[in-house]
Amino acid sequence: MVKAGTLEKGDVMVTIEESGEREIIIKSKLERLYGEAIRKTVEEMTTDIVGKIYVEDMGALDWVIRARIEAAIRKFRGEEQ
Amino acid sequence: MKLRRTRLYVPGNNPHLVENVGLYGADCLILDLEDSVPLEQKFDARILVKYALQNVDFGRSEKWVRINSPDTPFWKADLEEVLPYVDVVNVPKVESYEDVEKISGIMDEIEEKHGVEKRKIVPIIETLKGLTNAREIAKHPRVVAMAWGGEDLTAELGIPKKKALILDHVRAEIVIAAKSQGKMALDTVYSNIRDEEGLFEYARRARYMGFDGVGVLHPNQVEVVHRAFRPEEKDIEEAKKIVEAAEKAMKEGKGVIALNGRMIDKPVLERARKILAFAEVD
Repeated sequence: MVKAGTLEKGDVMVTIEESGEREIIIKSKLERLYGEAIRKTVEEMTTDIVGKIYVEDMGALDWVIRARIEAAIRKFRGEEQ
Repeated sequence: MKLRRTRLYVPGNNPHLVENVGLYGADCLILDLEDSVPLEQKFDARILVKYALQNVDFGRSEKWVRINSPDTPFWKADLEEVLPYVDVVNVPKVESYEDVEKISGIMDEIEEKHGVEKRKIVPIIETLKGLTNAREIAKHPRVVAMAWGGEDLTAELGIPKKKALILDHVRAEIVIAAKSQGKMALDTVYSNIRDEEGLFEYARRARYMGFDGVGVLHPNQVEVVHRAFRPEEKDIEEAKKIVEAAEKAMKEGKGVIALNGRMIDKPVLERARKILAFAEVD
C-alpha cells in the first residue's frame, strides 16, 4: 500500500492498495459539488492501475489532486523516493 | 531592472499556502523543498511543487525553488522534477565554485532534454568554508545573486546567533563578493514576523549595508520591506533628472551628460537608474 498527500486543509490523501481488481473510492467534504470532477481526474490518471484507489479530499484544487495522484502512482510502481 | 527586494519562503509541501502566493506581491517566491519539508514528504513535495509552478498564478513574482543542499541525496531529483518550470534555483549550503559547477552540469542536461533556456542560481552561503570561497562562487555565470544564512555558521563557531557580532562581517563579505562580480546581494530573513518596526529597521540596515533585498517568512512582511527599500523623494527627483539628462544627451548624440553644469558619469547614472527601479518608477 502506498500513500501520497496529507489530510490538511486544501490537500488530498491518495492511497493505492494492491488488489486483483480496480476500484475507486472517493471521499470528499465537497462530494456533491466536486465528487464527479474528482472521480473524472482519478479515472483519467489511473487507467492502467489495477488496485484499490482511495481518495480522501480535504478541499484540494484540481492541480493538487493531480500532483498527489502522480506521486501515489509513482510510489506504487516502485519509484525510489 | 529586476528587483529582488523580497523573496518569500513558502513550504513546498503545503498546497493551501502555495495556492495564493501570487497575491502577496513579493518580488520573488521561493517554494521550499529543503528545511520546511520533512524527510518523509520530500518525494510528494517535489511533485506538488512541479504542479504548482505550472498551475498557480505567481503574479509578477519571480519563481524560485529552494532545492535540497548538494550534500544530500535529494538535490538531483529536485532539479529533475522542477527545473523546467522555475526561473531561479536557490541552493543551500554552497561551499565552493565546484558545488555550483556540479549543480550547473546537471541543470545543463535537464535544460537540454526539455529544450528550455538556462536557469539562474542563487547560492546560500551558510558555512565558514562557503564564506571563504564566496568571491569565487559569485563568479559563476549562472549565479545572479548571493544569499546567506547564519544558523550553521554560528553553530560552527559555537556562538549564539542573536549575539554573534561576526555576522556583520559575514554580511559585508557577502555584499563584497556579490557586488564585485556585478551580482545582487541578498540578506537573510528577519524571523520575528510580528515585529513590523524591527523588520523595517532591519531592512533599512540591509539596504545601507549594500544588500538588494531580504528574505521574508510571512506575506505581511513584504510591504514593510518594500517600504524600507524605497528611496527618499528627493533622491527619486534627482535620479529622474539625471536619467532624463542622459536620455536627452543620447538623443542629441552627445557623449557627455551634463546636468545644471555638472558632468554626470556612468556610476552616477547607474545609481540613478537603480534608485528609480527601487522607487518603481518606469
